[in-house]
Amino acid sequence: MDTKMQKTKPSAEQLLYLEQSFNAIRDEVISDLGERDAKHIHKIIRIQRSCEVSGRLLIMFGFNPIPWALGAVLLGLSKILETMEIGHNVMHGQYDWMNDPNINSKTYDWDTACPGESWKETHNHEHHTYTNILGKDRDYGYDLLRLTHKEKWHPANIFQVIYYGLLSVFFQWGVALHELNFGGILKGEVSLKEKIPFLKQFGRKSARQIFKDYIFFPLIAGPFFLQVLLGNIVANLIRNLWTSTIIFCGHFPEEVETFSIEECENETKGHWYYRQMLGSANFHGSTLLHTLSGNLSFQVEHHLFPDLPAHRYAEISPKVQAIAKELGIPYHTGSFFKQYSGVLKRILVHSLPEPKTA
Amino acid sequence: MNALAQQGWIWFSQALTQHSSFSGYFQPLIQLIAPQWSTDAYRAQVIEIRDELADMFTLVLKPKTGLIDQQWPSFKAGQFIELMVEKEGSRTLRCFSISSSPAHYKKTGLIELSIRIQRQGRITPWIREQMRVGSLVNISVAQGDFILPTPLVEKYLFIAGGSGITPFRSMLQQQLLSEETEQRDIHLLYYSRNNQHIAFQQELEQLQNNCPNITVTFINGEQEGFICEQHVQNYCPDYHQRTSFICGPSPMIQQARKVLSDLKVDNSKINFEFFGAAPIEMKSTGQAIVHFQASEKIVVSEENKTETLLEQAEAQGLTPVSGCRIGVCHQCICKKKSGIVFNTRTQQYSDTGSEEIQLCISVAQGDVVLDL
Ligand SMILES: Cc1cc2nc3c(=O)[nH]c(=O)nc-3n(C[C@H](O)[C@H](O)[C@H](O)COP(=O)(O)OP(=O)(O)OC[C@H]3O[C@@H](n4cnc5c(N)ncnc54)[C@H](O)[C@@H]3O)c2cc1C
Ligand code: FES
Repeated sequence: MDTKMQKTKPSAEQLLYLEQSFNAIRDEVISDLGERDAKHIHKIIRIQRSCEVSGRLLIMFGFNPIPWALGAVLLGLSKILETMEIGHNVMHGQYDWMNDPNINSKTYDWDTACPGESWKETHNHEHHTYTNILGKDRDYGYDLLRLTHKEKWHPANIFQVIYYGLLSVFFQWGVALHELNFGGILKGEVSLKEKIPFLKQFGRKSARQIFKDYIFFPLIAGPFFLQVLLGNIVANLIRNLWTSTIIFCGHFPEEVETFSIEECENETKGHWYYRQMLGSANFHGSTLLHTLSGNLSFQVEHHLFPDLPAHRYAEISPKVQAIAKELGIPYHTGSFFKQYSGVLKRILVHSLPEPKTA
Repeated sequence: MNALAQQGWIWFSQALTQHSSFSGYFQPLIQLIAPQWSTDAYRAQVIEIRDELADMFTLVLKPKTGLIDQQWPSFKAGQFIELMVEKEGSRTLRCFSISSSPAHYKKTGLIELSIRIQRQGRITPWIREQMRVGSLVNISVAQGDFILPTPLVEKYLFIAGGSGITPFRSMLQQQLLSEETEQRDIHLLYYSRNNQHIAFQQELEQLQNNCPNITVTFINGEQEGFICEQHVQNYCPDYHQRTSFICGPSPMIQQARKVLSDLKVDNSKINFEFFGAAPIEMKSTGQAIVHFQASEKIVVSEENKTETLLEQAEAQGLTPVSGCRIGVCHQCICKKKSGIVFNTRTQQYSDTGSEEIQLCISVAQGDVVLDL
């Protein structure tokens, strides 16, 4: 895999050409932003709010398993839309130009345990700047999974499929605690003390989330306490599994590359674009699948242009592919199942050390 | 206790909806039945669009009241509102004085905005094209302190330039319609570009005939030129007994203030309203480095070129929320981490420490770090 990358590494001129072409794509979309994009996000927000309100009502007053299940699914759907197409994208600043205080990256906070502030730091800044640079992008394997032979194997990796399963189930908490850098603390690279402001933030946000889903709504249901509690747990679980799956498909299918810190010193915007292309992967599917994944099914486009409204990625994708093809830069894509099985395979393969003969 | 309860309520709303108010969360759904309903504005319906001049028109608005619409609080003659429109998906605020009187509102439930179409303007030409009878717009509460003081019997000198007539029309109409028996003595000097560009001419002439206490002098700028001491002395010889109110283009306001000062009118008796951002009256603007920390951008501002922090941020491709852009709406609030800024509205320099500032009226004085 590395050798392929070495062979095809573009020249400086090619990288400059890449930079100019991608900047042009971006400028074109920016100058075209308008009513269509505003309508899109307004529509999604309305759908999400309708799903949430009706989901909560059904869970509470469903009185029999079928409406209850429907309610849990609707609430799960609302949480998926809110986390992906609304929260994630709005917090990237994709809609800041609308000048709407309710749809603005500075003020928006999403319906997950992760404080919006912390997310903007660890995700928007660290992960999007240092994408897949080993040692810098802690999103890479979430400090938990070994996904490349460039990382040293540790006996604990044997069970990493189980960690992966647990991470998916509790994904919102994994994301929320990401900034804590637990690995760093264990290794003594980071002190717990410097994480106190974050812990306070986390405490405040997670208290609110727990209060909402696991105390307030169950309590006001009175005798139906348990059914509401269970419904909310299921809805959160649906969202956690789904978002985790989307994120893993976008970053860790088999062929996705990693970079060393040295490779990225003094990097040009062209090389940054190049790294983003190699560091992410798409999957294809229906419009519904794209919307439910917050258009992160166009992870490549998202990484190239994190602040363009995500529903535009499908439109610019052919242009991105054409330029990638022209320069011989790989463009990772495949079916949802191909990408997902790639992820699983990779987690499994790297849970064991490589045979010495490599 | 009250504040504590309010804080608790905000916490509760944030916990349940991630919004600081429940209405903010439900706004998108409420809009399904009540288009353009908004937590931070009132809805008003366009009742009539009347052309006053080739480049000036009046919007007659009826603020909505009803089950979901809170009653729009009334206003004082001379105040303005923020008109909020959504052009190409992007929310924009523009300030306009209410050109009709509170008495008229009380009687009819209507208010009027008289709007000059700015030739290169982004919004004013668009409003004229876009608005139809029946359209809905969003308006703020009335604000501003360009209003007549309360002791009744007093003498006034109004100086209006072009579209700056609007707050005066409101004040004059109020005098005509209100049932107060004691009338103010008002003299209006009304400057216009030429004799084709006089909004409300007939109406003002009529008003003068009906009210003995109101005098209107129309001054044709083409023939008589800019405001000067002679104009004031000739047309309104008792100017020194009067409290003055000035409204019009910034250069005119500056000139009128100077003329009155030179005529030894006390500063406390000169009131004025800029139809835009107040001109920046800073002593010196050395080189300043502005650090937009969150977006990792650094701007070195040029010497003697005064730009507001909002303009500098936008030039860097950043998109902080903004509204009125003249220091009224507080939407452009941003945390300053350190450094001194000059506030063009209050003409004050800030503290060096961390505080919230309004980007649209702040100019960096030395090095400034912003959380943006
Ligand atoms: C308190 C207040 C009350 C106001 N009341 C009224 C009113 O009753 N009637 C009215 O017509 N206007 C009024 N204005 C002015 C009005 O808000 C502006 O003319 C309007 O915002 C222009 O918007 P725009 O998007 O069309 O122009 P912009 O796109 O904002 O500006 C385009 C160009 O026009 C210039 N420009 C903008 N406004 C003015 C101006 N007022 N004079 C000269 N050049 C200008 C700008 O410098 C710029 O070059 C008021 C302003 C304030 C602050
Ligand atoms: S934009 Fe309204 S106060 Fe700055």
